[in-house]
Amino acid sequence: MHSDPTDLIHRARQGDRAAFETLYHAHVGRVYALCLRLTADRALAEERTQDAFVRAWERLATFRGESAFSSWLYRLTVNEVLLGRRAERRRGARIVTTDDPAALERPGAASVAAGTALDLERAVAALPPGAREVFVLHDVEGYRHEEIAQLTGVAVGTSKAQLFRARRLLREALNR
Amino acid sequence: MMCPHMDAQLNEYVDGTLAARDRASVEAHLAECAGCRAAVAELRSLAAAAATLPKSVEPGRDLWAAIETRIRQRAPRNVQRVWWFGALAAAAVLVLAFGIYRLTARPPDRRMGEGWVAVQADFDRATNELGVILAAERGRLRPGTVAVLERNLAVIDAAIAESRAALARDPANTELRRLFAAASRQKVELLQWVTRVAAS
Repeated sequence: MHSDPTDLIHRARQGDRAAFETLYHAHVGRVYALCLRLTADRALAEERTQDAFVRAWERLATFRGESAFSSWLYRLTVNEVLLGRRAERRRGARIVTTDDPAALERPGAASVAAGTALDLERAVAALPPGAREVFVLHDVEGYRHEEIAQLTGVAVGTSKAQLFRARRLLREALNR
Repeated sequence: MMCPHMDAQLNEYVDGTLAARDRASVEAHLAECAGCRAAVAELRSLAAAAATLPKSVEPGRDLWAAIETRIRQRAPRNVQRVWWFGALAAAAVLVLAFGIYRLTARPPDRRMGEGWVAVQADFDRATNELGVILAAERGRLRPGTVAVLERNLAVIDAAIAESRAALARDPANTELRRLFAAASRQKVELLQWVTRVAAS
């Protein structure tokens, strides 16, 4: 069943959890993929996905419909992940890139093309966090450096440097 | 093998972000350098592969149940409520600022004791209002933030209590009034910050 997203958002704003659940099911795959690629950690990605939807529920009133709901939600998700990482860093905890390649495997990925994609997923997961975040945001999600700089709090030049570094490391990893 | 000094330029070339003159210069280099041509082909292939990665990955377990439990405890905030909290916080801050001004700007005289009682009452009322906002918004803050906030509030409250007790004994003491004003300002700033963070 396809419900009108505007109506769902309106109902969710009034506190209708069923409407919000429909929005959740429509977007969870995209939000989780974003969290998983940014964190390279399945458990952390699940946690951040939940944080993002809770935050979205709280902030629905601030969504004014100037952009698509999906763009608003994904930007909010990126913020949650990056804020979470800064908080972890302040606490001195170190997020280690995954050693478990299965973390990024998707059921049914059996074709040659999917195999290549999986190699790339693994290589991205093994990147240093800063380079990985910029690569995912720029090359996978299509954000511009100016937007990434705003989201991550780094200069545009730093965002570019991290992207070029990520690509260099990925080319090395994939050519091995 | 690409020329190491061409790294940034080749990336910008592939991204299409070079100015026309720089682009022409890179193209002239590419015409003569097989290593850089191979690097450009690799970069293009990498960008294409990244752009075609699946945009959606389903989580391995159901996440909705936990989300529902969390949102059940909190209604979506409406803009009016956020505005109302902001207005309340601003009003409390104004009351405090005026009290602090009265406390520090007035020359000590025999009636200072009366003024001091009024300032204390204003301060108590204003911090109570901010406390109500804090209690309402507390659930929206991360546990780490709440822990830091409570630690800082405890330190500031201890400083306020100490200067208040000393001022009760010696209401005309200018230094003590300044100490009380400084601690009060810190508390206001901290509570203002919390209301901002919770509303963001």
